[in-house]
Amino acid sequence: MRIGRGGSFIGFENYIYLLDDRDFLRATGFTLVYTFIASIFKFSIGLYLAVLLNNNMPFKALIRAVVLIPFIVPTVLSAVAFWWIFDTQFSIFTWLLQKWGILEKNQLINWLGDPLLAQCSVIFANIWRGIPFIAITLLAGLQTVSPSLYEAATLDGASKWQMFRFVTYPLLTPIIAVVMTFSVLFTFTDFQLIWAMTRGGPVNATHLMATLSYQRGILGGRLGEGAAIATAMVPFLLAAIMISWFGLQRRKWQQGENND
Amino acid sequence: MTDATLKSSAPLADSREGMTYLETLPRKVVTVYLPLFIILVVLLFPFYWMVLTSIKPDAQLLDLDSSNPLWVVNPTLQHIEKLLFGSAYPRWLFNTMMVATVATFLSIFASVLAAYAITRIRYKGAATVGGLIFLAYLVPPSILFIPLSAVIHNYGLFDTPFALILTYPTILIPFCTWLLMGYFKTIPYELEECALIDGASRWQILVQIVLPLAVPGLISAFIFAFTLCWNEFIYALTFISSDHNKTVPVAIISNFVDGDIFRWGSLMAGALIGSLPLVILYAFFVEHYVSAMTGAVKE
Repeated sequence: MRIGRGGSFIGFENYIYLLDDRDFLRATGFTLVYTFIASIFKFSIGLYLAVLLNNNMPFKALIRAVVLIPFIVPTVLSAVAFWWIFDTQFSIFTWLLQKWGILEKNQLINWLGDPLLAQCSVIFANIWRGIPFIAITLLAGLQTVSPSLYEAATLDGASKWQMFRFVTYPLLTPIIAVVMTFSVLFTFTDFQLIWAMTRGGPVNATHLMATLSYQRGILGGRLGEGAAIATAMVPFLLAAIMISWFGLQRRKWQQGENND
Repeated sequence: MTDATLKSSAPLADSREGMTYLETLPRKVVTVYLPLFIILVVLLFPFYWMVLTSIKPDAQLLDLDSSNPLWVVNPTLQHIEKLLFGSAYPRWLFNTMMVATVATFLSIFASVLAAYAITRIRYKGAATVGGLIFLAYLVPPSILFIPLSAVIHNYGLFDTPFALILTYPTILIPFCTWLLMGYFKTIPYELEECALIDGASRWQILVQIVLPLAVPGLISAFIFAFTLCWNEFIYALTFISSDHNKTVPVAIISNFVDGDIFRWGSLMAGALIGSLPLVILYAFFVEHYVSAMTGAVKE
């Protein structure tokens, strides 16, 4: 079907076609890996940052505001900055590695040109972009935990880790579930970062389902196929929502709250 | 649930001393300040690099060895000048601003009506409608852009600002409605009952009683919606084709990139100036922003 023209009903033909499409399967695989790795790192670093920011320190408000900047700046524009940072010839990372003697002089790294490195680079950029949101929302959750609980735990001889594991973490679980659902959903359907940094290349290695769907549907003019790829994301999203929804409900019940 | 969570986040924050007096300074440096410093450096480095690149002369951009690339020797404004006077950048900035403002006001108007109806007018299935609206927010633009592009073509809106003004509310309305529902729930119902007894109509109640009380909520909804519009990329990329109508994110990606290495300076200057309006807006309303973000997530 082309833009602006009527179509005819073809049932599941587009989906059946996709099942044999290597690029589609590869994009699906990479989308899952991308979401999984990025979410784990975003969660652990974000939680760690939230715990750090929850300490008393000078310039607390200023530091919290500054942490949010990567979240404020439009994704495409920070992706452009990463694109320049990962430039093959003039990458500042390559320069630093050369300076520290890890790389030979004049030895270059093809950050966005090598499939595996490009995948790592875009995942890195995604983690960088996602941390502030998670850190600031978890920080708000941490601030609702009553200090008297920590005082009681200290009197009982709990170590820092035990306090985190048995006081902070259980109280934070509901908000973690919500924040991570958002994070997973928006990472899974990411488009901007990839399109700005690699456009799915090299050799389709960094295509996510969203970018592949844009390339097939809009640039390639095969709207039906593009829409099928986009729709194929829905079951994954539903699964993510379900997991967090039921996880959340169980927690609420344990704490004796209403489920409203 | 909302009123409790919204209120509880603030008061505990700064008064907490707890058992922190047990910690010595050297210990705190190692466990808190050092890791915090490292994370902050990583988070802020790309912006530092962006600013630095936009004021570096081309010669220094392309020669990392003659001087320290982490600093700039003879800063220049030539990239920014080229951007503002030698390209259509002001036009793109204007487009983005215009589309974002109109779409935001449209969405907030619709959301106020929707949120008020869902929270205050009792009818069967109000809760379900609220849930469905939230579900609509979870369907991201990267799934909707192909069906919407067919709609845009059928209405003949392709490559006009209206294509964006009318499609952005598909993301904004669910989000703003959801945010405002939380705020409206915190307004005591008794106030409205009093007004009803005094003979006010629903419209009068909304305009004269509920909205003035919900101003903080309206401000957060405005900031969020405006930021989402400014950030929006995939619709703008799909529905706009001529240079004249592009928004900043799309123009940055497509118009400064033709394999010409010498445009890195302008590209970074463009990214920097494109982020500034949001950063300024955010600097004024940072408290609203944080409380709305955390409030909305906890809802």
